[in-house]
Amino acid sequence: MTDYSEILKQERNADWRVELRNSLANKERVALERVKMTEAEPLERIKSQTCEVNRGLTADEARREASRCMDCVTPTCIEGCPVSINIPKFVKYIEGGKFLEAAATLKEFSALPAVCGRVCPQEKQCEAKCFYTQKMKKDAVAIGYLERFAADFERNSGKIQVPKVEKRNRVKVAAIGSGPSSLSFAGDMIKFGYDVTVFEALHEIGGVLKYGIPEFRLPNAIVDFELENLRQMGVNFEKNFVVGRTASFEDLKELGYQAFFIGSGAGLPNFMNIPGENLNGVMSSNEYLTRVNLMYANQSDSDTPVLRGKCVAVVGGGNTAMDAVRTSKRLGAERSIIIYRRSREEMPARLEEIKHAEEEGIEFMNLANPIEYLANKEGRVSKVRLQRMKLGEPDASGRRKPVVIEGDIVEIDVDLAIVAIGVSPNPLIPACLKGLKMSKYGTIEVNEQTMQSSIPEIFAGGDIVRGGATVILAMGDGRKAAGSMHDFLKKKYNL
Amino acid sequence: MTSLKTRFFGLELKNPLIIASSSLTADLDKIKAFSDNGAGAIVLKSVFEEEIINEYHQVAQNKVESHFDEFMDYFDYKIRDQVLASYGRLIKSAKEASKVPVVASINCISAGDWLQFASQVQDAGADAIELNLFIMPFNPNRKAEDNRRFYLDTVREVSSRVKIPVTVKISSYFSDLASICHELDGEKLAGITMFNRFSSPDIDIDKEKVITASTLSNENEHLLPLRWAGILSPRLKCPIAASTGIHNATHMIKMLLAGASAVQMASVFYKKGPAHVAEIIAGLTTWMEKKGYESIGDFRGHLSLTKAANPALFERAQYLSNFGGYAGS
Repeated sequence: MTDYSEILKQERNADWRVELRNSLANKERVALERVKMTEAEPLERIKSQTCEVNRGLTADEARREASRCMDCVTPTCIEGCPVSINIPKFVKYIEGGKFLEAAATLKEFSALPAVCGRVCPQEKQCEAKCFYTQKMKKDAVAIGYLERFAADFERNSGKIQVPKVEKRNRVKVAAIGSGPSSLSFAGDMIKFGYDVTVFEALHEIGGVLKYGIPEFRLPNAIVDFELENLRQMGVNFEKNFVVGRTASFEDLKELGYQAFFIGSGAGLPNFMNIPGENLNGVMSSNEYLTRVNLMYANQSDSDTPVLRGKCVAVVGGGNTAMDAVRTSKRLGAERSIIIYRRSREEMPARLEEIKHAEEEGIEFMNLANPIEYLANKEGRVSKVRLQRMKLGEPDASGRRKPVVIEGDIVEIDVDLAIVAIGVSPNPLIPACLKGLKMSKYGTIEVNEQTMQSSIPEIFAGGDIVRGGATVILAMGDGRKAAGSMHDFLKKKYNL
Repeated sequence: MTSLKTRFFGLELKNPLIIASSSLTADLDKIKAFSDNGAGAIVLKSVFEEEIINEYHQVAQNKVESHFDEFMDYFDYKIRDQVLASYGRLIKSAKEASKVPVVASINCISAGDWLQFASQVQDAGADAIELNLFIMPFNPNRKAEDNRRFYLDTVREVSSRVKIPVTVKISSYFSDLASICHELDGEKLAGITMFNRFSSPDIDIDKEKVITASTLSNENEHLLPLRWAGILSPRLKCPIAASTGIHNATHMIKMLLAGASAVQMASVFYKKGPAHVAEIIAGLTTWMEKKGYESIGDFRGHLSLTKAANPALFERAQYLSNFGGYAGS
């Protein structure tokens, strides 16, 4: 079997790639500035939860940006991609104006290119490994923007290319949960020829892509389009189906399912367990975002409205915190404040999200940490007490740790507080499986090479394994699990 | 009928022998054995904030890639939840296993975290809380006043927020020990235990390596708490429990005579097991009967600073009589 690097080399030597490389001198390529993404105006976009902030590239912008790519002999960008997308190939297709071919290349590796093009932290992954970043200390080729462009172009062209699938082998497998890891798993397993069903507990497919990420960052229609693609490939979706309650694993086995991929995510919000956290008006970002994103609580006729604070504090510095605080602004808050115990430099949120939040008038109260919520006479949250912090030495993760400034405590007025400090795996599914090896933090323990659990026919990936992961890492897990499950079932059934 | 009853932790204890916080009191079988052998109360192994920090560092070392930043950002809270939940289970199980009061012991190094720890151990059913307070004075930038404020703020904050009795266990590392105890006493504490005992470094001269010294106390160490029980018990409203180096009934009786209301013991039980509790209690009873004392109150504090015939010995620091002749020769 030819290895991937050999294939890449052969593809790079194809006539059209050589011709394209020769069409522009490297000196001219590196002289080009990275494209700027067009964005909706801050004052306009904060009026709507569904107004997408990033507007995408035009074809000219995309081709120009793609021409910055040097088509390196050793494309290190691929090393930075958890699903090993053939980045130079799709980028060069864009440079050559072959946008549908670029989209087809993406689909060979990713079930969700339009999603990844929007929400992946490329600056920490493929773009961090780009020649420009590594060797020239310049802005990386905008691989994420180009990925989005190719996927959007295909969708808007109406010429949807459904990836080829192998002949059905009649072996049934199930994915539990319908987030990125399960969808990625399902996309590969259906290509291998399996009969794939995705079981989702909620009334919408998409998992965290739907309930977690607001539409101003990832429109639901984009997710639905990618799902439709999987449907057309033959993946079955079962909504409102709680594995372990609606049916047990034994029930599913009796129905013929031979192996399972658990990608049920981490839907259990973490709290700080500080006094007052149970007051009315203090809630998790999971609840807040799910109500808005999935149950349309932002709409005036919603059956399940959400509290609309005038002064909203969101605790945390990650992407979820940014999503929640920006959502609160769109729901009419006069003050929306991020409370974060480190400084801006240590914030784990994408720089782009922080920048967008700042543009939208989000206030940042860094180096502060809640220690108590205080109630008004009605028992609703009215203030949060904050411990001022300073930065100490770097901890084991390499980031400077927050240190208490003793005695420096302040109070601020709030009428809604949203806690966005992380999530834990939902314990329901692991609790249904006797003999499933778990970590002390409630994650499923798997062989990292195969994603196989302590129960041979159970594989797992995404947040239920990692505790918290990016969309693309979860997708990488799904792909790896699909490959391993395929090997496992081939041996078992002589496929 | 001889009564051994005393008061500490805001509770009436059937005798003054308290099992001090140690790894022994994290073991349910041993907790039951201490109770069955007649201990007056049991202080559970401390839950340390430092353990949480160490575990965080261990997890973080395996997740240094930047895509784990969001996952790790508040992971210390997750670890803390788990540690406190586990400690809560220990409290509940210990309460079921023991017939005597079960006291939670907490040690934090961040001022803001004590309250949360205290609230959770109260919710778990602890009969009282011992705040295991210490700051080792090796930070050259930290002033005594900083420490003083830390101790007082912590005690004040916790005492005002929890309903169960609160005591503190302090170290002897104070330049103004009497003064700080006096101020702590003003915070309506249910007792002060003096002193907590730290692990100490030692040096292996063969391997030329710094090692941890034996963690168990020796008998001579009881003289330090004896001095301070004698000096402070008449001056404080709250009761004192003496701790460190107390290994037998004789040591316990000395502490009670100096004015302590109770003693906390651990090291000797590593050597002699929980059954030694009954032996010590029997020793105290026998001594009281021999002396004709019917209750602890009949003799407690009889040899404290204010009642002893030669109180100056409590406050003397130099070996004047021992070495006076030597110096002059």
